[in-house]
Amino acid sequence: MNLDEALKTFIIESRELLEQMEEALLRIEQEPDDAEVVNAIFRAAHTIKGSAGLFGLEYVVAFTHVAESVLDKVRSGELRVDADLIALLLESRDHIGVLVDHAAEGEEPGDATNQHGGELITRLNAYLGHQAEAKPAGMPVEHEHKFEKEGGGRVATDNWHISLRFGPDLLCNGMDPLAFIRYLETLGEIVNVVTLTEAIPALSEIDPESCYLGFEISFQSNADKAAIEGVFEFVREDSQIAIMPPHSKAYEYLKLIQDLPEQEMRLGEILVKCGTLTRAELENTLREQAQNSEHPPRPIGEVLVEKHIVQATVVEAALEKQKQVKESKSAEASLIRVDAEKLDQLINLVGELTIAGAGASLAAQRSGIPELQEATATMSRLVEEVRDSALTLRMVQIGGTFNRFQRVVRDVSKELGKDIRLEISGAETELDKTVVEKIGDPLTHLVRNSMDHGIEPAEVRVANGKPAHGSLKLNAYHDSGSIVIEVIDDGGGLKKDRILMKAIERGLVQPDANLSDKEIFNLIFEPGFSTADAISNLSGRGVGMDVVKRNIMALRGTVDLDSVEGQGTTVSIRLPLTLAIIDGFLVSVGKSSFVIPLDLVVECIELSDEDRSAAGERNYLSLRGQVLPYLRLRDQFDIEGDRVRRENVVVVQYGNARAGLVVDTLQGEFQTVIKPLGRIFSHINGIGGSTILGSGEVALILDVPRLVQQVSSKGERSMFEA
Amino acid sequence: MNALVTTERPTAVAKLAEIQQFLTFALGSEMFAVGTLSVKEIIEYGHLTEVPMMPNFIRGVINLRGAVVPVVDLGARFGRGETQVTRRTCIVIIEVPSGEEKQDIGVVVDAVSEVLEIPATEIEPPPAFGAKIRTDFIHGMGKVNGKFVILLDVGKVLSVEEISTLASVAGQGHQADAGRVAIQ
Repeated sequence: MNLDEALKTFIIESRELLEQMEEALLRIEQEPDDAEVVNAIFRAAHTIKGSAGLFGLEYVVAFTHVAESVLDKVRSGELRVDADLIALLLESRDHIGVLVDHAAEGEEPGDATNQHGGELITRLNAYLGHQAEAKPAGMPVEHEHKFEKEGGGRVATDNWHISLRFGPDLLCNGMDPLAFIRYLETLGEIVNVVTLTEAIPALSEIDPESCYLGFEISFQSNADKAAIEGVFEFVREDSQIAIMPPHSKAYEYLKLIQDLPEQEMRLGEILVKCGTLTRAELENTLREQAQNSEHPPRPIGEVLVEKHIVQATVVEAALEKQKQVKESKSAEASLIRVDAEKLDQLINLVGELTIAGAGASLAAQRSGIPELQEATATMSRLVEEVRDSALTLRMVQIGGTFNRFQRVVRDVSKELGKDIRLEISGAETELDKTVVEKIGDPLTHLVRNSMDHGIEPAEVRVANGKPAHGSLKLNAYHDSGSIVIEVIDDGGGLKKDRILMKAIERGLVQPDANLSDKEIFNLIFEPGFSTADAISNLSGRGVGMDVVKRNIMALRGTVDLDSVEGQGTTVSIRLPLTLAIIDGFLVSVGKSSFVIPLDLVVECIELSDEDRSAAGERNYLSLRGQVLPYLRLRDQFDIEGDRVRRENVVVVQYGNARAGLVVDTLQGEFQTVIKPLGRIFSHINGIGGSTILGSGEVALILDVPRLVQQVSSKGERSMFEA
Repeated sequence: MNALVTTERPTAVAKLAEIQQFLTFALGSEMFAVGTLSVKEIIEYGHLTEVPMMPNFIRGVINLRGAVVPVVDLGARFGRGETQVTRRTCIVIIEVPSGEEKQDIGVVVDAVSEVLEIPATEIEPPPAFGAKIRTDFIHGMGKVNGKFVILLDVGKVLSVEEISTLASVAGQGHQADAGRVAIQ
């Protein structure tokens, strides 16, 4: 792990922490008394500051420090959170995000950013109560705990003494010893530092990836012990660190000397050299040591308290903190961060395995050897399990995406001057990570649209007998192999007549067309609707809705809209759970095999002789009294060979449209790994991809909506031409 | 192999050395060759899945150890009609640069013959006409035992850009036909 990778990890973690921080800030708005949430916010800021310090990202440290100080006051109950403070903290959070982005780019923030940061610091400082004498950013708050003085036995120096023995794995963990010392300098002045090289073995035994260094540091600072300890937060576990406050008792130094691995005399010399102890003090100390050698070892905290070196509360806080760190460490241990590429590779391999397994089963069946068949049956089951658990690795809860909308709703409702509340349900519903990543944009669009155009201003709402505050709901649930995401508002709903009028005006529908309500609503997804600004006085929902639809269709999803005038609108997005694998329905025409996505298949019927003989005149049949237009894949795809005696019709439904696909034989369901067809076939119509069958042959996956749409538009056009 | 070539001709520039080995194959009665560095493997003809609505020189796709690879009929691509499949028909998998990436494309050939070393001095520029295939498809004319072998420029012959454009045109044309048929 080199420093670049460590920095990358820092960036990722910081962004995650910022997300948690935002979520917590929005939550605190509802429940200002929840101490745990405040702690979470504080911890996030604190961790970002600490890690940023390790990388020498001064601008992040300086700004975050001020925000952290304010948060500390909130935590200690000195400050109460109100809407203004939350707004300010949210802004600060965003600013930290900007600074982290700068760090990711590897560049210093520009003037505009710095100016914005400066303004925020001034506003934050107002909460700290020293607006006038605003300290330079990064200057630590003054030490609040005064040590009780006690005569005698104390050493003369008024410097802190820090004794560091880094663990051997420090370098392997991506840390740089120098970074800690550099960071320490942000808290005060290093008066003297002695590097201990004793632990370095003979050249032949040196492991270049191990750290053998130790440091004795004499340090002048006003920071409190916790702050100095914080510097070493990331190495505390593996390293031996002793921090002695100024004017510590000689006894403490004695203890230090005893605890450290080096020889006593040598260490004593170092302390003298370092300026921590005078020669006389050292001699006293060592003499004392000789006398008190049977001194029973006691917990250091207890000793410290007893000697009035630190206050009991401080020790408690330190212990508490230690516990927290341990807890979060153990929580982290149950999660592993994995490179997405590696995961993709695994999924690909599992896909291969599925195909190879199907091939083996096929061969086993043909062979007629019972043992072989049994073995392949067991293997197939295992492969299926492996595949399922591999796929779940990519599953993430949609809650994370939903929660981001808390902020969107908060900001947009402020912007619009509307009081809108966001309700979230089904946050635990899981779906594929790639789908989650891509659904964010369309969702944002829909949410903004609902807030902007769907939900009426408060006075209109009250006049219509609705509660003054609007509500927006995000809901998710699983429904037969796909996930449904709903955006529901309780606004004014869509005005059907005006949409229809507009559509007729634009030539999207015939004036005499008889459309259902749903079909009318779905017209706003038509590209023709997106450019019109006249739509904004209607509902404005048309803006960019075609783009939303296209994005969702690119994910093999569908979008549907339902609305009741005066009561609100519901947009339902239906997405496949994963992009890698679908449930398919295998059919064949002549020698070719095709896969129809199973969720589109409604039923299969036999093409009756009557319909067959009438096929020359018409391409529709009666499905229990309803008209069902159909198309022959054989004609459509120009497949050689004669029609078979018994043809079958696969009835497919997508959105509101139904159609029949005439095929030769039905092969049944099977789960299929989607393989892209590559750029050569990028313009192909009606085929969405390919998959590999158990036999090793490639089968094409039909893009049913496009296939049918194409046939119908071509057919109509030809009719008009004729 | 490269090492051998460079020791023989130490002064040869790297680029020339790279393309000095050619895989030769027969298409009808004529010999063609492609640089060995772009050849990934040679497989038996079979298990081809046709893709509908494609120009006739796109034979279809095959499963190459889990990857779906398009297969082009070189004879049809040169406008000489479809290659008849015989016992010796092979698919040569060729790696074609396509923008930033590389795309594998299979080509159907009548028979693969041998790998030849052709020194740069034995390579003539393509004739202005007379080869009966597009001039820009030809990288050069190699002289082997007094006969000419057409050295193909795979980047042009198998240009992903061009093929996908042709494919989309063919698809549309086919669609228009199909539409008319349906209405009749």
